[in-house]
Amino acid sequence: MKRTVIPFGPQHPVLPEPIVLDLILEDERVVDAVPTIGYIHRGLEMMVERVEYTEMGFVVERICGICSFMHGMGYCVSLESIMKIEVPERAQWLRLIWAEISRIQSHLLWLGLGADAFGFENLFMHCWRMREEILDIFEKTTGGRVIHSVNRIGGVKRDISDAELAAILVRLEELGKEFKKTASVFSTDPSIAHRLGGVGVLTAEEALTTATVGPMARASGIATDTRLNGANLYNQIEFQPITETAGDCLARVVVRLREVDQSIDMIRQAIDKMPKGEGLALENKPRGNPVGETFTRLEQPRGEVVYYVKANGTKYLERFRARTPTFANVPAMIQLVKGCELADVPNIILTIDPCISCTER
Amino acid sequence: MANPLKLPMVPRALRNLLSRPATRRYPYEIRPRFVGARGTLEFDVETCNYCTLCMKRCPAAAITVSREDRIWAIEQLTCIACGVCVDVCAKKSLSMSVDSRHVHTMSEVGPQGQRPGHEEWHKPADVAPAPVAGTAPAES
Repeated sequence: MKRTVIPFGPQHPVLPEPIVLDLILEDERVVDAVPTIGYIHRGLEMMVERVEYTEMGFVVERICGICSFMHGMGYCVSLESIMKIEVPERAQWLRLIWAEISRIQSHLLWLGLGADAFGFENLFMHCWRMREEILDIFEKTTGGRVIHSVNRIGGVKRDISDAELAAILVRLEELGKEFKKTASVFSTDPSIAHRLGGVGVLTAEEALTTATVGPMARASGIATDTRLNGANLYNQIEFQPITETAGDCLARVVVRLREVDQSIDMIRQAIDKMPKGEGLALENKPRGNPVGETFTRLEQPRGEVVYYVKANGTKYLERFRARTPTFANVPAMIQLVKGCELADVPNIILTIDPCISCTER
Repeated sequence: MANPLKLPMVPRALRNLLSRPATRRYPYEIRPRFVGARGTLEFDVETCNYCTLCMKRCPAAAITVSREDRIWAIEQLTCIACGVCVDVCAKKSLSMSVDSRHVHTMSEVGPQGQRPGHEEWHKPADVAPAPVAGTAPAES
């Protein structure tokens, strides 16, 4: 049969960021897809040669606007493990709380974008209305809505008072109740089930062979979650990775819906367990220059992220590298797109939650 | 199932009919910034001793300080409002205000193509008059 090539992107209504897929079609069916990235490469990793290691954290958290907190945290955790700095306990708990709030923020953003992609614009607005309240919590506690700049090597810059933490928890629980109603739309609406159910099925075996990470892998029934390794005080929190078995687009939506509830529960546990009081130590400042290299793994909203940092004893690092979750999920995405209908391509691409700025840096 | 008709959006839609919109009528209605929000970097020329520490630590290289010429200058549009300079300033000359930065238009670009948002502070005082006998010269 005659083949047609249709370029999907870099500008497309469902794509928040530029990526190109050259879709090779036979009739309406995709037989192959060739991805091209490189539209928003900014060379941020190269900047370690010009920016001192103490200030590089501000560059790293600008890799991406949605995972900004976790990027800053990952960089600081890497440097702390190289320089053997012990982070004060309250600072670690605060990092955990902010990290989980940023996961809620990211999932709400994505659920909105997903709803917009399958044509449910009303739902998109409701998700983003809730996300706005999360951003307000960020602005109150960190000073910035998207770029937080509270992570420092050896701790955090700002404290949240106990009264404010309690208020945040009350607000999040109200939000959680409201979110349950919105979540029921995603999981029960027949038009959504019709649009997403059974589309883009990734079996558990395929998920393992293409090395997917994060919600993408969990939607195929693989209980992988970097938080299970217990670093950054996650060993003191009770949780089980959320898995679904269907592996289709709907399962990927449901995993993220349930993770929002899980994050609120984690924040509740963290606020219970953290040391209370005013004026507790928040930061152990680094002394001297780092020597050595390290790998750090974190669970970002989109999955596992790996940071490699190599320091050579000067105030400039020798190498900084981030392997982001979207980069790990792109091979699975290409596999899913092959064989599907052209009209399903936007949903499949969006349900891996692509973050192209992270991938290209 | 709680909602046998599968119309989970209906309660929310009815509430939306009777409640105020979630959005604000910006720019007529502006939400006040939260306390502690990072907005604009502010500088007090009277207390600065031109130690250049803020210039060295600025990750965006937005600050230029000249000890000889007694100039402290900032490119407000390059500043990323991270707050590092406020932390390192020993003389507490720098502070972060909650107001967002002034938005410039292209018509404000200078005749030599100067970028809008470039601001300079000079302290000429201790260059002009000779120091009176018995008093120490100004700390540099």
